[in-house]
Amino acid sequence: MKGRILVVDDDEALAEMIGIVLRNDEYEPTFCHEGTGAMDAFRRERPDLVLLDLMLPGMDGIEICRLIRAESDVPVIMLTAKSDTADVVRGLEAGADDYVPKPFKPAELVARVRARMRGGDRPVPEVLQAADVTIDIAGHAVRRGDTRISLTPLEFDLLVALARKPWQVFTREMLLEQVWGYRHSADTRLVNVHVQRLRSKVEKDPDHPEVVLTVRGVGYKAGQA
Amino acid sequence: MTLVHSLRKRSEPAPGGYRRPWWDPRRWFGWILRSWRHSMQLRTVAVTVMLCVLAELITGALLSARIADGLFQERLAQVRVEASAWLRSADSSFQAASASDKSTTQSLVNDTLRSLRGEGNVQREYVLRDISKNAGTSWVVGQYSSRVADQAIPESLQSAVTNGDDVYWQSVALDTPDGVHPGVAFGKRVQIQPNREYALFVVYDLEQVQGTLDLIHGVLLLGFFLLLVVIGAIAWYSARRSLQPVAQAAATAEKLAAGDLDERMGVRGEDEVARLGRSFNKMADSLAAQIVRLEELSQMQQRFVSDVSHELRTPLTTVRMAAEVLHDARDDFDPVNRRSAELLYDQVERFQVLLSDLLEISRFDAGAASLDIGEWDLAPVVTRVLQTAQPLADAAGTELVTVLPSTPVPVQMDPRRVERIVRNLVLNAIEHGEGRPVHITVAGDATSAAVAVRDHGIGLSPEDAARVFDRFWRKDPARTRTTGGSGLGLSIAMQDARLHGGWLQAWGEPGQGSVFRLTLPRKVGEALTGSALPLADPHPGDGALAEALEADDSDWFPRTRLALGQGPDAAGQGAAGGSGQGPADAGAGPDDAPVPGTLPGPRRSVPGDLDAAGIEDSGTGTVGTGQLDAVRRRREEDA
Repeated sequence: MKGRILVVDDDEALAEMIGIVLRNDEYEPTFCHEGTGAMDAFRRERPDLVLLDLMLPGMDGIEICRLIRAESDVPVIMLTAKSDTADVVRGLEAGADDYVPKPFKPAELVARVRARMRGGDRPVPEVLQAADVTIDIAGHAVRRGDTRISLTPLEFDLLVALARKPWQVFTREMLLEQVWGYRHSADTRLVNVHVQRLRSKVEKDPDHPEVVLTVRGVGYKAGQA
Repeated sequence: MTLVHSLRKRSEPAPGGYRRPWWDPRRWFGWILRSWRHSMQLRTVAVTVMLCVLAELITGALLSARIADGLFQERLAQVRVEASAWLRSADSSFQAASASDKSTTQSLVNDTLRSLRGEGNVQREYVLRDISKNAGTSWVVGQYSSRVADQAIPESLQSAVTNGDDVYWQSVALDTPDGVHPGVAFGKRVQIQPNREYALFVVYDLEQVQGTLDLIHGVLLLGFFLLLVVIGAIAWYSARRSLQPVAQAAATAEKLAAGDLDERMGVRGEDEVARLGRSFNKMADSLAAQIVRLEELSQMQQRFVSDVSHELRTPLTTVRMAAEVLHDARDDFDPVNRRSAELLYDQVERFQVLLSDLLEISRFDAGAASLDIGEWDLAPVVTRVLQTAQPLADAAGTELVTVLPSTPVPVQMDPRRVERIVRNLVLNAIEHGEGRPVHITVAGDATSAAVAVRDHGIGLSPEDAARVFDRFWRKDPARTRTTGGSGLGLSIAMQDARLHGGWLQAWGEPGQGSVFRLTLPRKVGEALTGSALPLADPHPGDGALAEALEADDSDWFPRTRLALGQGPDAAGQGAAGGSGQGPADAGAGPDDAPVPGTLPGPRRSVPGDLDAAGIEDSGTGTVGTGQLDAVRRRREEDA
């Protein structure tokens, strides 16, 4: 088993189908079919990843996402029937790491899940520096001085990707490929939203960033140590 | 539209932008002519004043004649009595004297004449003439007190006097040094000396009467003039009072037409004006209610389509995943099940394309589509499309020939949408090109950039060219679909073009193939006046009619404009008329508004129509679907 995945979707047929696809890929799916029980299921199952439908009876998917983020850094991928800008952005701002618009193909879904689950395979002990922030890759920890900064795995990956090559400017498309695992160009709002979230955690003053710098018209780069 | 048009027209400068100098009478003439045409108030006042002048002229003439007559008659009666009495008394005194000697007679005559002259301040002259025909010595010579009077005696009076015994009179004109005065002359034959006849005339100068008459004329004229001014002012005021509500109604109607549905006229009192105001407001109320109702209906429809599309997505996702799982495992199936799995997989893909197109259309209908504008070179955008379309072209045996400009054509556009337009045109050309080459030309000029896609397939008739952007339209319903298009591709392309303020036009000729031309303004928001490429075939076989479809028309009401075959530009210009309207205009002008009674698009694209539209022939002709889908899928991913 590669990991436990909680599927929160009110459509039982779709949830079952997702389950079949995930099992085919050797993940262990568990299910929750309504919004109100989602947090209980999350605490009970302790999943490694959550697939979350945005439109749920009982409780809004965005609200659930916010609650999960409040107590855990577990990766959250939204399943959206609405690809409308506002909903996607709201979901990402609530803390979702990625989203898959319906109707998706099994391969797409598995690719998105895999990209977020590849955690554990980083054995090399390595310490990076971005501005005044220290990143311990093996310990999965970010510190400014003695203060530990808590990041979600996605935010951590984003910061590491930037800090590994501090001399390079990353376009949004490059980050999408490296951090999210998209091979074709995808929604660059993913990058914008998560850079904002990352800055709100690691920067001393998010309005004048020092760790993640914007290169106007190109993309982002890490601040010099 | 007409209203706005006429308003715009009014504010235009003189033709050619030339403004005449103020001293040029033509400028004032033009100004007056314009005011005359545009101001009913001015016309009312002018007509009132003119009629008033006419009435005053007639009244004045009558009055003047009556007064003059009265004055003259009175004076005449007076002088007549006086003159007659005097003449008779002179005559009788001459006869009574019957002087026989010359000197006595002469002194008598002199006395008599002097008495005549000297009396009072009345201007009175005498003229004595010898009218005897027989010769002989005359004791008294002809004489007169005034030369003017002497000259004024008319021949007819003298002859009357000569031949009659009465006192005769006649009006005369006195040619005095201060001008011609009216006068009256009395005459009588008198006998001063036996056997010798004289004519004695008395001439009165009636200048005083004329003076009085002139004074009266002056007073009358002044009175009339003041009356005219007063009447003009009254006409101005009352025209203003009664036309003001009309002007207000016009202003309100303009605001209503501009979309301000809450605009109403102020109503006061119970009179006709108030009734106009109330009826107007009632009309505006009912119009607004109708529009709101239609808007609600349309929104409901759009929301329904959007909801249905969304609701369909979840089961479709399940079906798609299941189909793919089966498809991946098809090698383990027997041939029948394997083929079934393949068909299922392909058709689910097709269903998905249809659904996403439907959703896109509903987004356009709801006005929720927005542009993600950036400045991009047009040629690479087109090239990208051609790369993704190449596999399908190869499968159809179609050669894609491109003519790209040597210099970049930067255009402010949403590249995703433009790519989608071009992709739709190219896929359409491949589908209908019957394997003959498809030419794709890109060009730009100062204000516009254009992509023309030319195929040499079965072609389009002018009627077809008019309908080709309709939703789910198919040239020949019996013709099987070889590719899995949704039937919405060109409609979506049209909407995308409209969103850019561009044109999407079709030209076709049966058997000659067709041309689809996309024209975009170089800068967003600028109105197009022409295209960088001709729409019609650069080498039309026989000066055929060029058919241009205007991109600004609502999809469900395409209108065509025929441009006679005066070369390619004619078609381009012909289409230029109304198609330059940007997205802001969509739905604003009366032309774009949905016509009550004909429900707009969503009705035609409700899922109930899906069967008729594309699924019925799902069992046939799936060749190439996979490739098309690959193209479309990539597009989805791009999105």
